[in-house]
Amino acid sequence: MSDTLAGVAAPMGVVVTPATAARRGRRRPRRLLGLIVPVLVLVAWQLAWQWNLRPRTILPSPHEVLTAADAFFFGERVVGLSGVVYFKGAGWSHLATSLSRCGQAWAIAVAVGIVLGLGLGLSKWVADLLDPFTNALRAVPLFAWLPLASVWYGINPTSGKIIIFIGALWPVVVATTDSVARVPAAQIETARMLGTPRTRLWRRVYLPSALPEIVTGLRLSLTLAWTCVIIAELGGTTDGVGAMMTAAREAGATEQIIVGIFVFAVIGYLADRTLRLVSRRFVSWSAT
Amino acid sequence: MSGTLGRLVAKGVCKSFGALPVLDGIDLDVSAGRTLALLGPSGCGKSTLLRVMAGFESFEAGTVTVDGEPVTGPSPTRGMVAQAGTLFPWLTVRQNVGFGPRERGDSDVATTVADLLEVTGLSDFAGALPRQLSGGMRQRAAIAQVLANQPPLLLLDEPFGALDAQTRLRMHEWVRGLLAQRPTTTVLVTHDVDEALLLGDQLGLLSARPAKVVALRDVPFGSDRGRHTLAEPDFVSLKASVLDEVLEAS
Repeated sequence: MSDTLAGVAAPMGVVVTPATAARRGRRRPRRLLGLIVPVLVLVAWQLAWQWNLRPRTILPSPHEVLTAADAFFFGERVVGLSGVVYFKGAGWSHLATSLSRCGQAWAIAVAVGIVLGLGLGLSKWVADLLDPFTNALRAVPLFAWLPLASVWYGINPTSGKIIIFIGALWPVVVATTDSVARVPAAQIETARMLGTPRTRLWRRVYLPSALPEIVTGLRLSLTLAWTCVIIAELGGTTDGVGAMMTAAREAGATEQIIVGIFVFAVIGYLADRTLRLVSRRFVSWSAT
Repeated sequence: MSGTLGRLVAKGVCKSFGALPVLDGIDLDVSAGRTLALLGPSGCGKSTLLRVMAGFESFEAGTVTVDGEPVTGPSPTRGMVAQAGTLFPWLTVRQNVGFGPRERGDSDVATTVADLLEVTGLSDFAGALPRQLSGGMRQRAAIAQVLANQPPLLLLDEPFGALDAQTRLRMHEWVRGLLAQRPTTTVLVTHDVDEALLLGDQLGLLSARPAKVVALRDVPFGSDRGRHTLAEPDFVSLKASVLDEVLEAS
């Protein structure tokens, strides 16, 4: 009677509930499960193309996109004029430009964000001073900064980096502020009792104790920074994946736009994975 | 032999949380190297008293001094271990034990730490993180962490309250041995009468909140106390009368 509720008793007294059974065998099926949706999308896309649901000029086939991607990364590179956004063979260079832009702006955002977050979380004085200001600034939509940045710096990579910086800054600030405020009082007392001077508490206790949550903020921030790259490269530059996509739109080359989308997706996914692996080394003490 | 440092004197200590009085004129005098066990009904302010001695809590009236020095804030000379432990979860056992000396500018902590790990039986777990330890090991590590600063005064706030009965008994025997080796003035706050009688040289009884010292007596057992003591007739009858007093006080 009750075995339908409590699970089926297995040999050696191990109770196998549906949940434990699923947990045991979940790795492989789970991974395969994740492939179902992409495959369905691909099939739907191919069918939509075959049945001409949309004009073929604006809906290329998967095969055309694959060919374009191949040309983008492995085609023979044409070198020449300045002011031209190259596509063929220019993939790696565009990607490197976008990554370096994103990386630079993100790194600055992380440094500024952690310092600002520590200040806001550790000092009531700093919090009272800056909270209204930062909260109001945070409410400004990212795109609203674009006109100002381009008026100040022109439509160029610098204003692009500013957009990425602003986009990446807030998750770091919020995660740092919140996690620092949640550091258990007992840890602070212990450090004080053991001889840590007040001025060193942030380094000895607050930062390490808050690190797991800060790292979560960093991951969110990196993802946001990467999505901001496209905004940063909307105009004023001939380098970068975003610039390539803008040029492709002007040229009506839909398959190239889609290549750009795939590049953003794959790199964004890989960046998050990498950060997660790297950070796991530093915050392994917190069982997650 | 008894240490020459660590005489703790409290005179007329009063403390309240807002309108709620918690400590009502506490007077205590613990000689250097002795262990005072404080018993009292739960919620009576035992932990608050210990936190006052540690320097974590301010108080409205009275004085607390260690060797004549007034307590004004936390200090490495007064090591406190609480029930939940005080280890830093991101540091290994070795780093946790060496934390205090290192913070105080002692760069050569290896020997001190190795000694303490030996004494606490944690040498094999030096590289482990606190969450990988059992409850008893964690509390031993927390005590080692505090002892690394060689404080004249050790404050224990129900340090074994979260442990199972067998582990607790083992810890009692271990602490006795430890304190015999390194005489340290100790104030132990507990609600466990066995623990108070096994570890204390003196027994202090606190009233219900606001806490006052209602009785102070010497514990008549020698330094060779252990699990066998629990069955001795003297122990059993003393325990019964102390229990009566505790229940009366609450």
